[in-house]
Amino acid sequence: MIIRIRGFASFREILGKEITMELKDGSNMNDLLNVLSASNQKLRDAAFDESGGLREYVMLMKNRKRIDSPEGLLAELQDGDEIAIFPPVAGG
Amino acid sequence: MIDITEADFSIDEVVKKARSGDVGAIVTFLGTVRNDDIKSMELEAYKEVAISELERMRDEAVSRFHLRSVDIIHRIGSLSIGDNIVLIVCAAGHRKEAFDGCSYIIEELKVRVPIWKKEIKDDGHRWVNGQ
Repeated sequence: MIIRIRGFASFREILGKEITMELKDGSNMNDLLNVLSASNQKLRDAAFDESGGLREYVMLMKNRKRIDSPEGLLAELQDGDEIAIFPPVAGG
Repeated sequence: MIDITEADFSIDEVVKKARSGDVGAIVTFLGTVRNDDIKSMELEAYKEVAISELERMRDEAVSRFHLRSVDIIHRIGSLSIGDNIVLIVCAAGHRKEAFDGCSYIIEELKVRVPIWKKEIKDDGHRWVNGQ
C-alpha cells in the first residue's frame, strides 16, 4: 500500500514536505515510523528518545485527525492514508 | 472570514464587514512580529487542518460568547519585524462578550492550530517552541 507522509516545521526539514512510501499491507503507524527512521538518523533522533520511545512532543495525524493513543499507533494503515508529523504548534 | 494567507490584510476592511445594526462592540486582536534579536520570521501551516480548526474555534466562540461574527486571518510565509501575523475580529452586542471571545480564540489558536514559526537570526535560525 502507498502512504503519503507530510512533514511540517522541523520535521519538514528532516523528511521533506511530502513523500510517499510503500508499506506492507497490515502495517501500522509504529511500523511506518520505524521504516522511516531506519534510513534517517536525523528523524530517529528527533522522533525517538534514547530508549526508543516516541518523544512526547511529536505530533502525529492520520487523515488530518490526531493520533494520541497507543491504540492509534497500532491501528492498521490503509492504502492512500495521509500521515502528518510535526512538533508542537506555535502560531499566533 | 477564516483565512491562512501569504498576503497582508486590511484591518479596516475586516472591521467594516463586522459592523451591523445589532453589533455594539468589535474587539480586534492583532499579532505582529516582535524583534527578539531576529532578522525575520518564517511561518508555515498544515493549511487544510489549520482552516478546519479555526472554523471549529470560531463556531465554539460564537456559541459560547454569543458573538455576532468572528473573522480570523493568519499569515504564513516570510515576514519582517513589525509585520502583521494574525488578526482576530470579534463582533458582539456588548463589549464583554467581544473581549472574552477574542481572548478565547487567540489562546486556543496558540495551542490547537497547526502553524509554526521559525526565527531567522544573523547566526542561524530556530523554531519557536510550541506551548
